[in-house]
Amino acid sequence: MSDPAISHDLAVPRTALRARRMGFLLAALAIIALPLIFNDTYWRTNLTICAINVLLALGLDFILGYTGQLNLGHSAFYGLGAYVSTLLIVKLGVPFWVAFVAGVAFSGLAGMFLSLFAVRLRGHYLAIASLGFAVIIYQILLNWISLTQGPLGIYGISPPPALIIAGIQLADFRNLTAFFYLVSGFTFLVYLLLNQLVRSPVGETLTAIREDEVSAASLGINGAAWKVFAFGIGAAVGGAAGCFYGSFVGTLVPDAFFVTEAFNILAMVIVGGMGTLIGPVFGAILLTLLPEVLRGIGDLRLVVYGAALTFVVLFMPGGLAQAARIVQEKLRFGGPGS
Amino acid sequence: MTTTIVLQQAINGVVLGSLYVLVALGLTLIYGVLVQINFAHADFVTLGAFAAYFFMHLVGAGYIISIGVAFLVGAVLGWLINAAIFTPLRRKGNELLPLIATIGVSVMMQNLMLAWFGPIPYAFETPYSSQVIRFAGIYVSWQNVIIIAVSSVTIALLYAFMKFTFLGKALRAVSQDRETAGLMGINPNQLIMLTFVIASALAGMAGAMLAPVLVLTPFAGTSVIVKAFAIVIIGGFGNVEGTILAGLIVGLIESYTTQYLDPGLIDIVVFALLLVMLAIKPTGLISERREENV
Repeated sequence: MSDPAISHDLAVPRTALRARRMGFLLAALAIIALPLIFNDTYWRTNLTICAINVLLALGLDFILGYTGQLNLGHSAFYGLGAYVSTLLIVKLGVPFWVAFVAGVAFSGLAGMFLSLFAVRLRGHYLAIASLGFAVIIYQILLNWISLTQGPLGIYGISPPPALIIAGIQLADFRNLTAFFYLVSGFTFLVYLLLNQLVRSPVGETLTAIREDEVSAASLGINGAAWKVFAFGIGAAVGGAAGCFYGSFVGTLVPDAFFVTEAFNILAMVIVGGMGTLIGPVFGAILLTLLPEVLRGIGDLRLVVYGAALTFVVLFMPGGLAQAARIVQEKLRFGGPGS
Repeated sequence: MTTTIVLQQAINGVVLGSLYVLVALGLTLIYGVLVQINFAHADFVTLGAFAAYFFMHLVGAGYIISIGVAFLVGAVLGWLINAAIFTPLRRKGNELLPLIATIGVSVMMQNLMLAWFGPIPYAFETPYSSQVIRFAGIYVSWQNVIIIAVSSVTIALLYAFMKFTFLGKALRAVSQDRETAGLMGINPNQLIMLTFVIASALAGMAGAMLAPVLVLTPFAGTSVIVKAFAIVIIGGFGNVEGTILAGLIVGLIESYTTQYLDPGLIDIVVFALLLVMLAIKPTGLISERREENV
């Protein structure tokens, strides 16, 4: 798949750089303003779920969009992050942020392990293997009752400890707004890092592998190693989302990490536009809020969800990002008659 | 005593396995000609099951005829998904897009069925489940006899079709090399359509026979398809003999895991086997020589 956005980025004019900085500034302002505008519990909860989903979509997009590895089991890394960190906190009394790092690292390593299997395989084999991996993880969470309490779930998970510096309490994460700032701040940071990464020579290497692994190999690029690396990063980001999810919702049940969740994340990436970082951000926000808006039509909202995924693939495979580009081009060159 | 249990579970495993084979064969046939996966295959199984259920209960028809109806429903669905998804996307030439589009179709179908049929499991009872043959301490229900008979006849017919008829040979030619087959005057588009119809009809039929075993809800197909994917890989993608062998193995694994370990472990055992296969022999039990487009 050729993506014009990527080749554009290789030589960045100064205006584009300035526009990007403006974009980041606006995004930061939006993050600060959102919980102040939506000041009820319902919307603040949704906002935080949005931020978690954006994190998930970014992780999957890095694996799928930038290295072309069809990961159908992203829910596994999400679940591993959630359960590993929560179990460390609940069973061993490990401090939250230590458990967070452990959960992220565990998910990342699991992703690298799966990718090590998969580098020898192509497209569909990886798809099925990752799906199988997600099924195994789900079944383990469900059946290892002495550890995870199975379908009963783990209850009463406390939020991260309050942020206290020099005796002054800066943020109390029992507060929804503070929690939203924590997750969205972290997500923003991940976005910035991934953005730097994909624009660096590493990103160009990954793109080369995605477009044509054999040609990349002829240039001395070790495709397998880079794919494992990218899978590890993406899975670790998914794990971080899981760590936040557990402490935010306060309850963990295996059903939250069933393979359908992986399809939801996939839909966010596709609808947003895989292979761009900004696309999946909007894809995640749209598909998180859409079911809330459509709550009135009950079961049919997931029908709309599936239809959206299908129609986007059929008619606009570049997703929202492609739509935005088309609109932009139209504006720049003027539509017919202007 | 133990030998009877072992034999009894062997029969249960073969019954279940032959149904998995029917579902997995469809996936493998499509993969053979198109190198694509239809994710909505699972929902064709479910819809086949519901079609048989409603045909029995609303029309009052017999079970055997209902299996035929499920077969037809599957065939129609196969034609539809090929026309609506795979044909338009083939021109775009991206191997991942059709898979993702069919995931969307699958989500859509499951939730449409949920809206129509509700989340409460349907009790699919056939008159043959309660009629049991007793033989040397082993129980075999007529239902199981029907399943084994119908699936082996279907598999044999399919095999004969692929091996001996002109269409079957053309189909294999297309799966080996689509372009050359096209040069020989074979219209690949019609054959791809035919493959989808056959594959999906098998799924629908399998659904009608799986329904009494499964918990029949709109999501029933998912548990089957996940195993069918494993079977297809264990057997070697696109390979008919390998798929049959792997399907029976997975059926046996399932019945013995239920007997000696824990039903909750079935998926773990099956997928552990899948991952081991991928690590040792990713081309499957019976590997076919395939051209690599390097």
